[in-house]
Amino acid sequence: MSWLIQTLWSSIGKKLMMAVTGLCFCIFLVGHLAGNLTIYAGKDAFDAYAEGLHALGPLLTLIELGLLIFAIIHITTGLTLFYQNLRARPTRNKVTKRGGGRTIASATMPYTGIILLMFVVMHLINFSFVDKSETTIAQIVSQKFENPIYVLIYVAAMIIVAFHVRHGFWSAFQTLGANHPKYMTTLMALSIILGLVVGFGFGMLPLYISLFS
Amino acid sequence: MNKFISLTLRIWRQKRPNEKGQFETYPAKDISTDISILEMLDVINEQLTLEGKDPIAFDHDCREGICGMCGAVVNGHPHGSEKGTTLCQLHMRHFSDGDTIVIEPWRSRAFPIIKDLAVDRSALDRIIQAGGYISVNTGGAPDANAIPIAQEAADKAMDAAACIGCGACVAACPNASAMLFSGAKISHLALLPQGKPEAAKRAIHMLMAMDALGFGNCSNERECEVQCPKEISIVNIARMNREFLKASFFSSEK
Amino acid sequence: MSLDAKIPGGPLADKWDRHRFELKLVNPANKRKFEIIVVGTGLAGSSASASLAELGYNVKTFCIQDSPRRAHSIAAQGGINAAKNYPNDGDSIWRLFYDTVKGGDFRAREANVYRLAQISNTIIDHCVAQGIPFARDYGGLLANRSFGGAQVSRTFYARGQTGQQLLLGAYSALSRQIAEKKIEMYPRREMLDLVIIDGQARGIVARNLISGEIERYAADAVVICTGGYGNVFFLSTNAMASNASATFRIYKKGAYFANPCFTQIHPTCIPVHGTYQAKLTLMSESLRNDGRVWVPKNPEDKISPQQIPESERNYYLEEKYPSFGNLAPRDVASRSAKEQCDMGKGVGETGLAVYLDFADAIKRDGKEEIEKKYGNLFQMYEKITGENPYETPMMIYPAVHYTMGGLWVDYNLMSTIDGLFVLGEANFSDHGANRLGASALMQGLADGYFIIPYTIGGYLAGTNLPELSTEHLAFKEAVSAVESQIKTLLSINGKRTVDDIHRELGLIMWDYCGMSRNNNGLQEARGRVQKLRAEFWENVIVPGSDKDFNQSLERACRVADFLEFGELMIIDALDRQESCGGHFNEAYQTEENEAQRDDENFCHVSAWEYTGADNEPNFHKEPLSFENVELTQRSYK
Repeated sequence: MSWLIQTLWSSIGKKLMMAVTGLCFCIFLVGHLAGNLTIYAGKDAFDAYAEGLHALGPLLTLIELGLLIFAIIHITTGLTLFYQNLRARPTRNKVTKRGGGRTIASATMPYTGIILLMFVVMHLINFSFVDKSETTIAQIVSQKFENPIYVLIYVAAMIIVAFHVRHGFWSAFQTLGANHPKYMTTLMALSIILGLVVGFGFGMLPLYISLFS
Repeated sequence: MNKFISLTLRIWRQKRPNEKGQFETYPAKDISTDISILEMLDVINEQLTLEGKDPIAFDHDCREGICGMCGAVVNGHPHGSEKGTTLCQLHMRHFSDGDTIVIEPWRSRAFPIIKDLAVDRSALDRIIQAGGYISVNTGGAPDANAIPIAQEAADKAMDAAACIGCGACVAACPNASAMLFSGAKISHLALLPQGKPEAAKRAIHMLMAMDALGFGNCSNERECEVQCPKEISIVNIARMNREFLKASFFSSEK
Repeated sequence: MSLDAKIPGGPLADKWDRHRFELKLVNPANKRKFEIIVVGTGLAGSSASASLAELGYNVKTFCIQDSPRRAHSIAAQGGINAAKNYPNDGDSIWRLFYDTVKGGDFRAREANVYRLAQISNTIIDHCVAQGIPFARDYGGLLANRSFGGAQVSRTFYARGQTGQQLLLGAYSALSRQIAEKKIEMYPRREMLDLVIIDGQARGIVARNLISGEIERYAADAVVICTGGYGNVFFLSTNAMASNASATFRIYKKGAYFANPCFTQIHPTCIPVHGTYQAKLTLMSESLRNDGRVWVPKNPEDKISPQQIPESERNYYLEEKYPSFGNLAPRDVASRSAKEQCDMGKGVGETGLAVYLDFADAIKRDGKEEIEKKYGNLFQMYEKITGENPYETPMMIYPAVHYTMGGLWVDYNLMSTIDGLFVLGEANFSDHGANRLGASALMQGLADGYFIIPYTIGGYLAGTNLPELSTEHLAFKEAVSAVESQIKTLLSINGKRTVDDIHRELGLIMWDYCGMSRNNNGLQEARGRVQKLRAEFWENVIVPGSDKDFNQSLERACRVADFLEFGELMIIDALDRQESCGGHFNEAYQTEENEAQRDDENFCHVSAWEYTGADNEPNFHKEPLSFENVELTQRSYK
């Protein structure tokens, strides 16, 4: 199995792990967003969705466990890459300019990633690890977003997610070797669209909840 | 069309590999806009020599953009901001009177500075030595037309093979990664039927060599393809990724 | 003394086969006991290093650049010739041989040229096997184009970067042998002397260009592949570091230097623009396939070229040479351009340029087709001149490009010093007085891949080579000579820079020993070169120290040699009282101003032997006999 470790711990291997886990998170985000959209249909619909989700039982646990493992891989690999990349250039240039390849999203991947990690921890504390015996999730959510600071934090985090996804999505395909002149422009566009969908989709929710519920 | 401009140069001076370097300022007066930036450095060096000072060391050779020997970061851009241009082909007509030009060496852990603007790029040779070849001995090759190669494949291989090994991709990469250089060589050979027998071995060995030399990791920033003087595309990096993953998971090579 | 080229007997077509059979062989197990030094990593050096290492020899390879991949072969654009006859247009080994001998104005050895033509096909096979991405037709087979001096399409190419691709192929073969530890690679080393022990070449002394150390390396044979001496002209299409030091210092150690006055002036270069120009850039000859060369009939016409009507243009090559037209050989095309400019018909700011026009080709084939063929060349032209050649005609002028002369070698490519082999542009062997386009790549690779592996074996197998250490007195003497020269250069501390003196030398050589020469001018030039050399040793300033990365010192050593070598060129040009190929003495021309050979008196190779710093060199003659081709007045009409 040493070949597997060698492969996964090579520079491309690490990128592979980032890409695969990252794409899974993209799928997760879309699923999560689809579920959350039930909020627009009212509290009951949202609670019903949550209930349905919990009814999955062990399958849900399995998915959660998977997400946890993927998160650990994504985070440790990402931090290793970040550290190695810093080390690869001990002295910086005095003047550095972009040639036009780099975007705000690509340049900030490690930072947006770290912020998102903190956000996810907070998010889980807020909505997952809370006592739900007496209230429904919909109530917890509307309670939280009564506080404008939370609204602000969530909206900001969703903008950051949008950027992270905007670079991460196409980048994952490139890492997997899927770069073809016929499809690359579409993929790039999809990457931006996905960023916008995730950003707007999630970002509007706290605003909607705080204003209308 | 001959015009003359005057500029201020800020140039990195460093006597020896591990010594501390610093920027020095040099005025460049009445520089013809028809000369290249290296010819301007020649002019400055002539003046420094006559003043009894140490001229600026910089690597250069063919001065027609093909040998890959020259290279420096000019105002934050490897080989300057002109597209598809090496330093020796960067002409002064792209600058204006009164400009300040900051010239620094390639900076990367894998490219130690030798002196001033000259760096040691032997790491790139080592990547090639790890497998950037087709193992055929001289003699015994079949007729050149024995294996037809689709024009598209030959063209793509040529696009990749155009790499001049200057190291600008490493200098441009925010992570000082050599993926474009390695990807170009792996692609060139993987696209041709002659390169196929060793493709798996080549991809694994070249990547392992690259990783061991202290280059950073690719994070798909795309600065390399934008700054590459031969405009080599990151399609070649994707192909390298593909080749490597294919080789690692589906071949018996280790 | 007459020189023996050791040409094997028998019919021309069988000579090489026969010779290979007669050469002694080194048994495979014994090959690893031999050490071979290869200096230079261009096409000849890289290919020789790789093939010798593949055979089992231990090779030490040296280059002055930071990587063997950067040697100046990389800049060759147009292509490589081979007698494959793929286009079915009547080519054959015999035709390639004949074109090359004729193109060289009958001043090359028949046997060598025939061997070159024979080997040409194998080179293409090998290069394709190495993964060189040659241009191909839609069906996937190799494409060909035409080059000057030939009426068939026999040139294989990889866009405008054929030299680069071939060199990278040889470099990859070299890299493979480095990885297998059969080659020890020494980059950033400059050979400064040859070590001869008991009449045999047994090592070199080289300067480590980073540390400044003078290093010694011993071997059983030395292979020199250090290229030509075009930079004696200061402005040339050669790379900045290309130099004659290795070959010239070997000449000073006793090897004969052949035909130094044969230099090639390439017709299609970007014209000189100003005093600070450091080098000239060539535009591939392949451009003449589609470009038409012309000057305005009325030199007073200072309007833009597109506005000059067809009737006011003089397409002088097409008029003078109707059958070859714009594809006349290089020497002919260059001289014609000079002739037009001398008549005051030149264009551009300096009046030293002619137009190379693609308007008709673009009209005929469309811009896209032209871009496909020459895109990178057009781009390069625009970068340098700031003008768009798709819209305005290019301006071109001849420039020094290649040197046919070089160290004298026999059929085995061995010089007059035992165990010293010379390959590629550094030797004189195959191109006579003028090289045809796309033949340099062919020769470099033929020498390296397919000749030296056989002939070096013949030498090593039949020679007694005693054990040797670098502590030998000959090494010590060579080191101290080199060190003392360096010390002197650093101590002069005068008022003129190395480049300044080099530039002056270049001008003298260009004006008097360039495209056209005459006896008075050559005499004048000789005196001026001697004076300049004396000034150099009194008034040059070389900053810095010897134990450092000191590029001024590198250049000073090279220019010191050019200052002596320039005089040897002039001596040779004065001696050859005829015109042939690249050597055009104004006193010897036909009524139509073409080079007029004197086959009675000068059908020979002139080989010069060094006799001391201020002494006349000794002249040796290798008569050339042509048994298979008839000596004719070269005509491209």
